[in-house]
Amino acid sequence: MAYRFFAPLVLIFSMTAFAHHGSSISYQLDKTITLDGIVTEWDYRNPHPQIYFDVKDKDGTVAHWAAELLSTPLMLRNLNVGWSRTTVKPKDHIILVCNPSRVAGAKACLAKELTLNGKSWPLGGGPNAAPAPAARGARQ
Amino acid sequence: MRWLAFLILLAPQAAQQKFDPHDLSGHWNRTSRFQTFSNVFSGQGNTAGTAEAPFTPEGKAKFDANKPGYGPRAVPPAIGNDPMGTCDPLGIPRLLNTEVITPHQTMEIVQVPGRMIQFFEWHHDWREVFIDRQLSAADTVEPTWNGTSVGKWEGDVFVVDSMGFDDRTWLDKFGYPHSENMKLQERYRRIDADTLELTMTITDPEMYTRPWVSDTKLFRLDRAKSSRWDEQIYCVPTEEYKFNLLVRDEAGGKGAGK
Repeated sequence: MAYRFFAPLVLIFSMTAFAHHGSSISYQLDKTITLDGIVTEWDYRNPHPQIYFDVKDKDGTVAHWAAELLSTPLMLRNLNVGWSRTTVKPKDHIILVCNPSRVAGAKACLAKELTLNGKSWPLGGGPNAAPAPAARGARQ
Repeated sequence: MRWLAFLILLAPQAAQQKFDPHDLSGHWNRTSRFQTFSNVFSGQGNTAGTAEAPFTPEGKAKFDANKPGYGPRAVPPAIGNDPMGTCDPLGIPRLLNTEVITPHQTMEIVQVPGRMIQFFEWHHDWREVFIDRQLSAADTVEPTWNGTSVGKWEGDVFVVDSMGFDDRTWLDKFGYPHSENMKLQERYRRIDADTLELTMTITDPEMYTRPWVSDTKLFRLDRAKSSRWDEQIYCVPTEEYKFNLLVRDEAGGKGAGK
């Protein structure tokens, strides 16, 4: 599979930044880049879920990237769309729109839009997220 | 802001429900705006409404040495020193700020004979308050993360006095400091069936020239939460270490490599 590395695209950032772990300050929230690559690891844990993936540029050079998701696992589960520890797997094809680091050359970004094997996965959470499903919330 | 309109519609009904003002038990979700000790807006770079902290010179120096990841002085966590970044205890009063957004901005109060116990979902911590007991110097010889606390009723206000705090904790995520000699008073009042009010006052002459009063924090009773499983939001050092090494430090320019 051919990987593509897209030049940074400056977009309007309209979503309220609410990182609860002080992450937002590390990134350029008014800019996004689009990365196309192959997943090497998915860590669905606190403080923020992380995706590690390889991106190959036009010259064939592979760069290893890390992206953090703004929502916690609990917030993602509250979206009721199927987020879990197995949602992302090594060798999955990922297209990620994310806020780049404020540090030039840093291979870490803050995920904004995620497409996995052709399917878009919502990343939003917080106050407007749907309530947790009763099946997992009800006490026995 | 549909949820806000929903709360406004429910407010008159809550006010009419009967309740015991001395019963503070239940899950309480913070609904007031500020996630910090004082009325400092938590949005990065936004200082509207910022309160002036009455620092002593020592207090100001310690404040300057604290490098938070939030607020007007925010720095990338990679070069900051928020205790949260290494999963150190947040301590009291920081836990009382319930400093995150829903669904994590919650605490549970449990009242048992002689004690009130508070459980904090964020960082999965808890503290106890002994009721109608006197604090003595022997109780606080060694400082503790949450301090040592006693409580009593003054009419319908539950007053908690605490001392003996470990000075490695911050008052809030903006990095306001305190000394080991800080004294804290919390005043809880159940306004209606669904609303709990909290104000805090710290007296710490080493850090602040006069007692400093928090903003008024409001919490809404979440009855449904009592039937749901605890989410167990621990801060796990090994998880935090990996996140710091591979994401936070890389993003912050420390370039740990992956």
